[in-house]
Amino acid sequence: MKREAWLRPYITGNYWRFAIIIGLGAITLLSAGALMFTSGALISKSALRPENILMVYVPIVGVRTFGITRAVFHYVERLTGHNVILRILSAMRVRLYRILEPQALFLSSRFRTGDILGILADDVEQLQNVYLRTIFPAAAALVIYAGLIITLGAFDWTFALLAALYMGLLLVVLPGISLLLTHRKHREVKQERNRLYQKLTDAVLGMADWSLSGRHAEFVASYEADEAAVGRKDAALRSWARWRALIGQAIVGLAVVSTIYWTGGQYEQQLLSAPMIAAFVLAVFPIMDVFLPVSEAIERIPQYRSSYERLHEMAAKDEGNGHNHPMMMHESSVAALSHEMKEAEQNAPIVFNTVSHRYIDNDGQWTVRELTLDIPQGHRLAVIGRSGAGKSTLLKLLQGALSPIEGTVTIDGVSAAAFGEGIPRIVSVLNQSPHLFDTSIAHNIRLGRRDATDEEIRRVAKAVKLDEMIESLPLGYDTPMHEAGRRFSGGERQRVALARILLQDTPVVVLDEPTVGLDPVTERELLSTIFQAIEGKTLIWVTHHLIGAEYMDEIVFMDKGRITMQGSHAELIAHHPHYQRLYRLDRPAVGIREKTAAAL
Amino acid sequence: MGRSLMKYSGIRAVLFVTAVLTLLQCAAIIGAAYWLAETISALFAGEPLAEQLDGMLLFLLAFAMRHVMSMLQQKAAHRFASDTGASMRRELMEKLFQLGPRFSSVKGTGNLVTLALEGVTMFRNYLELIIPRMVGTAIVPALVLGYVYWLDVRSGVILTLTLPILIVFMILIGLAARKQMEAQWESYRSLSNHFVDSLRGLETLKFLGQSRAHGSMIARVSEKYRSATMRTLRVAFLSSFALDFFTMLSVASVAVNLGLRLVNGEIMLFPALTVLILAPEYFLPVRMVGADYHATLNGKEAGEAIQAIIDEPVAAEVHSPVTAAGREDPLAAKTEADGLTGTDDPTTGRANEPIGAGAPTTVKANEPIRTDATTTMKANNPIRTDDPSAAIAPFSPTALHQAGELQLTLSSVSVQHDPEGPLSLEGVSLHIQGPAAIGIIGASGAGKSTLIDVLGGFQAASAGTISWNGKPVSLAHDSWRRSITYIPQQPYLFSRSLADNIRFYTPEASSQAVREAAAAAGLSELADELPHGFDEMIGGGGRPLSGGQAQRVALARAFLGERPVIMLDEPTAHLDIETEYELKEQMLPLFQGKLVFLATHRLHWMPDMDHIIVLQHGKVAETGTHEQLLERQGVYYDMITAAQQEGWH
Repeated sequence: MKREAWLRPYITGNYWRFAIIIGLGAITLLSAGALMFTSGALISKSALRPENILMVYVPIVGVRTFGITRAVFHYVERLTGHNVILRILSAMRVRLYRILEPQALFLSSRFRTGDILGILADDVEQLQNVYLRTIFPAAAALVIYAGLIITLGAFDWTFALLAALYMGLLLVVLPGISLLLTHRKHREVKQERNRLYQKLTDAVLGMADWSLSGRHAEFVASYEADEAAVGRKDAALRSWARWRALIGQAIVGLAVVSTIYWTGGQYEQQLLSAPMIAAFVLAVFPIMDVFLPVSEAIERIPQYRSSYERLHEMAAKDEGNGHNHPMMMHESSVAALSHEMKEAEQNAPIVFNTVSHRYIDNDGQWTVRELTLDIPQGHRLAVIGRSGAGKSTLLKLLQGALSPIEGTVTIDGVSAAAFGEGIPRIVSVLNQSPHLFDTSIAHNIRLGRRDATDEEIRRVAKAVKLDEMIESLPLGYDTPMHEAGRRFSGGERQRVALARILLQDTPVVVLDEPTVGLDPVTERELLSTIFQAIEGKTLIWVTHHLIGAEYMDEIVFMDKGRITMQGSHAELIAHHPHYQRLYRLDRPAVGIREKTAAAL
Repeated sequence: MGRSLMKYSGIRAVLFVTAVLTLLQCAAIIGAAYWLAETISALFAGEPLAEQLDGMLLFLLAFAMRHVMSMLQQKAAHRFASDTGASMRRELMEKLFQLGPRFSSVKGTGNLVTLALEGVTMFRNYLELIIPRMVGTAIVPALVLGYVYWLDVRSGVILTLTLPILIVFMILIGLAARKQMEAQWESYRSLSNHFVDSLRGLETLKFLGQSRAHGSMIARVSEKYRSATMRTLRVAFLSSFALDFFTMLSVASVAVNLGLRLVNGEIMLFPALTVLILAPEYFLPVRMVGADYHATLNGKEAGEAIQAIIDEPVAAEVHSPVTAAGREDPLAAKTEADGLTGTDDPTTGRANEPIGAGAPTTVKANEPIRTDATTTMKANNPIRTDDPSAAIAPFSPTALHQAGELQLTLSSVSVQHDPEGPLSLEGVSLHIQGPAAIGIIGASGAGKSTLIDVLGGFQAASAGTISWNGKPVSLAHDSWRRSITYIPQQPYLFSRSLADNIRFYTPEASSQAVREAAAAAGLSELADELPHGFDEMIGGGGRPLSGGQAQRVALARAFLGERPVIMLDEPTAHLDIETEYELKEQMLPLFQGKLVFLATHRLHWMPDMDHIIVLQHGKVAETGTHEQLLERQGVYYDMITAAQQEGWH
């Protein structure tokens, strides 16, 4: 059942539309044959020099009609096809989105490398080609095949069988052989091209290293060797495609000769009239043309495979994990919590009580171990630790995206996970790279609260000190982000995101290293704005150094899931030599003063 | 579109071959039509089937020959296309290495990789399609039409008239479609981008509590996208409609016209049938061009994009006066010598290191260095400009290593990335004597990274000269590069094993040496934790490492390579403070006895530097030791006190 998860539901759901498209496709293809058939009939009938022009009136009308129908039906068929496919595409996108949405907070850790989301979006687009390039043409060809054999059967069953054989060669045998011969090579070429992609990325990103190490000639040589290997496989595939075309045409040639032979024989036995000879023979070319492209359509199947499998895997994983997400589990209870919710939106004291957590696939290692924290409303807490210390697990526990294996995480006395989808009304997050969407600046800010007025948007823009900058733009708040994005610096982008958070107006704000990558001056200014703007809210700030440490009520150092140092700046500087050393890194002049003092 | 094709080597040969094959093919097409029409009209006239075997056989032969010719055309085109594509890719790769990492980061790695892989493939397909199509459209319709005229003038006239009408309509519709596309390009772009934008912003939406509701937004926008696309397609598909319509109509007109004249006895069946069979053949080449239009267009554009990069001027060769003096430059002389003898061994690079024996003799007497403009920086020793051995000392890493005393002079060096843009470095003059640790500090945008790029040879100076021990040199040369260890902010990890990443600069290093270097860089613990130890795959295809771990790998490379010059560009700013502290402790021993350039905005490094260059707006604001600069109370002093200020309210 799962194997068809990304194709079959859309076929059954659009049964009639598909039937219409395939029908139109068949008519299109048939029109070309009918045009040649009637033309042949018209000419030969005319050559008999009938007394009256009306004798050839029917073929004349036929020729004119089929001359037009092919173009018209082809046009209509393509439009209908694309229309239906775009509908399916839309449904697939919503589906993929709904699969990914509950795991939103885990995507970046699950797929660390590459732009998996971009790839999945492309995959969905790829699948539309399954219909447009493979299913529709092949199905239309099949319809014509059946129709023609039945029609010919009415004249002569033996010839119908012969025609079935010739057309079947093109429709079934040649594509089958083609698929059999090439599918492995196609896959190999694809895999090797992926390797080339990796290798080339290594070359471009590691270019400084290649040139400095003096090994770039070595790289180019080895890359060219790999390219040549892929090139040879590719050439073999192309060569087969050329042979396949030639074999196909040879079958067409034989079919034409057979038709001449058959019609000639029928005419001698007076079973067919003379004009039918030309009609049948000339129709063979366009009819066989219907079946020639089927091989190529079928050969494409392996190309969709990886896209299909990636999407399928996502869907399968979703079914596997779905019930483990606390957010989904508690969805029903959110309504029941409305009272607690209202309370927590005003006042949200947070308590971590001997919390431990570990991921199932992490060799039993605890990512957070026996963590106890008491964070009253309005408290300012800085969390410092190297990567892998458990900081992001701590944040996910707070957001209720993870439930602790031991201990409890409560917000205003209620388990954090119990708030489910309601958590963004209590906790807002500014992280390292908040996404700015490809709409206007105003829309981006309004994401914080959909019903915010223009006045409120101006107010928060002023609070983050962007108002003058935005108003200086020709389109002001309506400037599209994708244009503004180029003009916006890293600090300004963070300010837009901060404005969103101010609109969201939650009692707890999480800052997840929002200043990484900014230069010290910008960092200082941004932090100053942040601290001014969120005065009075609980602040949980994951940071990598000690700039601003003096303004925190409490600083927590984490290592391997445990708290290693804890206290206010004053306490730490007084009692912990390690803290003093670290603090000096951010305050080099402190050392100077000591040195100068010592010298004096 | 043919003109730009003519510059590829071998194009004339392949065009000639294709033309000959096409002529033969054309003869076969006409032959097949002739014998088919003859056979049918003979049968029609009541001749017995048995007598038609010759005609049928001749038809089959001609038909087969036609398709064999077509196959050979494709084969010739394929060979030419893959050769041209391969040489284009080689040129592109060479160029990318010449242009260096800065260019790649500006253009975007993803773009370049896609261009080199997909772009070359698309261009190859374009060549493969365009050559038979070009020749086909030039030859086949003309010859077929000529034969039709010879058989029947009126049919010839009909065919002659329809083709231009067809082409004009196709062009008109194509233009209309493009105009419509352009008119709604902006909204179309954002609609088509919406889905991937939503996926990338999923985490942010979740934080904002909007992710659930956004699902219906996707459906709505997809629906809008569908109707916008359909509007465009309705026009775009018209061009293939026109193609179909006029072709079919023309064939139909020919048929009806022939029929009417047959009734009147003005023409015989055989020529009429031949014309009818040939009529679709007349349109076939044009229809194929139409069908492949988009594939060829994409390929052509990809080819142009690649060519644009290949034609990109290498800054060093165009702007820099360094190469103006190049003939007197020992490095340039060496390059020529290499070129002549061809002894360059690319795998080890060893052959490059010793300088050709004749090279130093070509060096003229030193040009006087303009010391007036030069800010002199002393190492522990005073500068010695009169050392005769230094003046002609060959420029090689080994020499660098042994000399122990290195003099690098920058005279009013300026860098301008963009011809219209501001100067990134302006009139920087420095005299550097090593071994010494030199700190480069300044606000972001002050030119720290640009200076490191100039010193590393990744960026040529737009103006000014750089001299090594008194001789003008180009730092973009291999022998200089091979004496440098470069540690950027985010070192790149190759998708290889941990050990191979560490020995990247010294592939011949033993496992023991790798282990020692890893220990010195603080990687032993990581290696012990990895399931496969040093053989664990890391980088893009393997286990991801944290920023601090990646930095340690770079550090281990430096320990292992033991190169005399180390350049660091903001090596620790992005790391957590504990990792930064540890890394600093591990880096400082590495700096002993080497010439070190360290660009950073982290002030804590500065007390450990022998000299500090303070940059401001691309200019050298001041230089000196930490203590000297504090005493001066200049820019550096201000930076220190600004960081010192307890707060920012």
